[in-house]
Amino acid sequence: MEERSRIVLLAAAVRVAIAPFFMHAGDVGTIYESSIMALKGLNIYDFVSAKTLQMQNATGLPVFFEGYAYHPLLIYFFTPFYWIFTLIAGQGPVMIDGHYPALPVLIYPWTPLLLLMLKIPIILADVLIVYVIAGMDARKAKIYAFCPYVIFVGAVWGMFDALVGLFLLASYLTSSRSKFLSGLFYGLSLMKLYTAVLLPLYAVRLYGRWKEFAEFLGGLAITLLPVAYYLIVSPKSIWNVLVIFQGGRLMGGVNLYNFIWIVQDLIFDLVVSMVPTILLIVALFYLITRFGRKAPLLESILAIMFVYFLFGKVINEQFLVSIFPLILLSRECDHRIWVAPFVFIFLRSPFYYFMLPILWTSPVFYGYYLQADDVWRQLQAAGYLQIPMYAVGVGFSLLIFWNLLRVIESVRGGVGFTPIATDRLPDSSGVGLVRSVRKLWE
Amino acid sequence: MKLKGSLTVFFAVYIIALSFIPLLHDTLLAQARWAGYGTGAYQYQNQHYFILFNDPYDGSSKPHIHVNPDFAPASRISLVEFSDWTSWVNDHNLFNEFDVTMRASTQTLDVTYSRPELVIHKYIEMSSDAVKVILQSEKEFRAHLEIWRWVMTSINGISIEDVAKPLAIAPTTLVEFTFSDDRLQGLGRGRIVMSAMPSQIQIWPHEKGFNKITVDFVNSMMSFTVSGSMEAVGTPSQPWNYALLPYVMPVVAITVVALYLLVGKYGRTLKNRATRRSS
Repeated sequence: MEERSRIVLLAAAVRVAIAPFFMHAGDVGTIYESSIMALKGLNIYDFVSAKTLQMQNATGLPVFFEGYAYHPLLIYFFTPFYWIFTLIAGQGPVMIDGHYPALPVLIYPWTPLLLLMLKIPIILADVLIVYVIAGMDARKAKIYAFCPYVIFVGAVWGMFDALVGLFLLASYLTSSRSKFLSGLFYGLSLMKLYTAVLLPLYAVRLYGRWKEFAEFLGGLAITLLPVAYYLIVSPKSIWNVLVIFQGGRLMGGVNLYNFIWIVQDLIFDLVVSMVPTILLIVALFYLITRFGRKAPLLESILAIMFVYFLFGKVINEQFLVSIFPLILLSRECDHRIWVAPFVFIFLRSPFYYFMLPILWTSPVFYGYYLQADDVWRQLQAAGYLQIPMYAVGVGFSLLIFWNLLRVIESVRGGVGFTPIATDRLPDSSGVGLVRSVRKLWE
Repeated sequence: MKLKGSLTVFFAVYIIALSFIPLLHDTLLAQARWAGYGTGAYQYQNQHYFILFNDPYDGSSKPHIHVNPDFAPASRISLVEFSDWTSWVNDHNLFNEFDVTMRASTQTLDVTYSRPELVIHKYIEMSSDAVKVILQSEKEFRAHLEIWRWVMTSINGISIEDVAKPLAIAPTTLVEFTFSDDRLQGLGRGRIVMSAMPSQIQIWPHEKGFNKITVDFVNSMMSFTVSGSMEAVGTPSQPWNYALLPYVMPVVAITVVALYLLVGKYGRTLKNRATRRSS
């Protein structure tokens, strides 16, 4: 068996073996309840928006229900697998209430099967990334395939940032051969909205090349059709969920801003949260005007995303997965940066995020969980976890900053044209991908 | 190199400057006003008291009143906690059977409990020397409220040695209790003054002291004015406290930034030396 296939199969096997036995209750719960609604033809945004209004009415505060706040297309990657699950297990409830702070109720024996089915799109995305990278560099493909952080985010927690990573990688790889596909994949990467910061970069690079620009926009427009549909059908709900929620979020995460979690004053926190947003706009403007047209696309994308990681308000533990394939492709970046968000996961998350559904399989395990959780909550209430979380957040921001400087230096010094930059990709990567997609398209 | 140096200086200063925000907020902005936060909870801090009113998904701490001892101002010592989990109005549980909305002004938190036949307001009014919890409705209502503390060493002069099971004490509008804190080596005193005579007050023993006071009354308004203090009786250790975090954040930021700069400067030198040797 050739090495590429061996890496891909091993990557898939590791993930499939882990997937049924773990989950992040919040995120998997959101995908599960949204899949049910999508299958019934219900409007997800109306549901989330109504919950938010209910919370705001109860508290008198600008708080938001943390439910499905993504691109409408995303749920259609999961719904077919949920539908297959219902053919096997029926339509009864399997996961009841997983939204923090409520603990979910899990129904057996169906929970592990549900988890496996809902994680299949994520596992497929991971495997495709490994396949594509293996076509260029087997060593780097192995790094992605067996990186504990990547496996944890996708196969253990069930977070779908690998899909964003796959589409961003595909957009980059196809950009030199098909602007239409590049636009289409870029549009798909918007299923987590933070890749929107790359749109000005694409626009600046294509400015003046009107035919290519139109092709790119054509591809992008296709992915935006569902957004347009919801803007017509329920404009208030989708605006509330996608724009007001995402735009009005409190800063924090694996970054230098998580100190705000100890400042318990929401109105003040929201005002302070505007500081990094202002710097983000300034930094994006500077980078795009200075290097946007001249620098290689890979380095430009990474620079913009690094700036987002530095000045974006919310950088959750899993976000790095979305640019991890591109980091691996760049000679300038240090991929070991994943260690910081991986450590952060264990500092921030309650114990049940690591062992669901195993802990819920017996009253004995559940008893152990309650004891362990009590210790965790005492540590958290005393503030002992906040200190290392902040240290790791600042450390991660500095590592991102260091990588950004490396990318900028390489571009300014003219050494940014890595052997695997898009213009000189071997036939097995970009062209191959374009060909395969074209075949599917035709 | 010039750009890199300027950006590094900017970013280092940016990180360190932002790390002072919690401290600035605590000392300049957070004092003596109700502030809501992300989960939907509210808190209030003044020179003597810290009050937490929990989010709508939790029936405890409605409110939870803490005292800040003069000899350890950053410590928050539990004084009493009103629990909605274990309180009833007209036989309906305050947490499970009422719709609740909260609104805050600078000094008063107004919590509205609604059912089709009854609306009750719980006002928490702050002053520098006491916390007033008022239950008010346009109609008369029958209430059973539970006020918790783990634990009170005596209540109205009755100590745990005198009582083996729940005891109804003589009707009164004043409840005085004592408590101690091992970490701070402190002895505390608390008072609850009620605006009207309740129909019954019970005290509940639990191992080393009393852990709750239950108050039953029928009225359209009842206020509980809570005050307390703590004195040091020994030499208190200076225990770690969550309220000290704002002081720690700048230290963490400066340390991590300094490490980054040191590794950036000397790490490269060492790497260069190693590269030279090997080449």
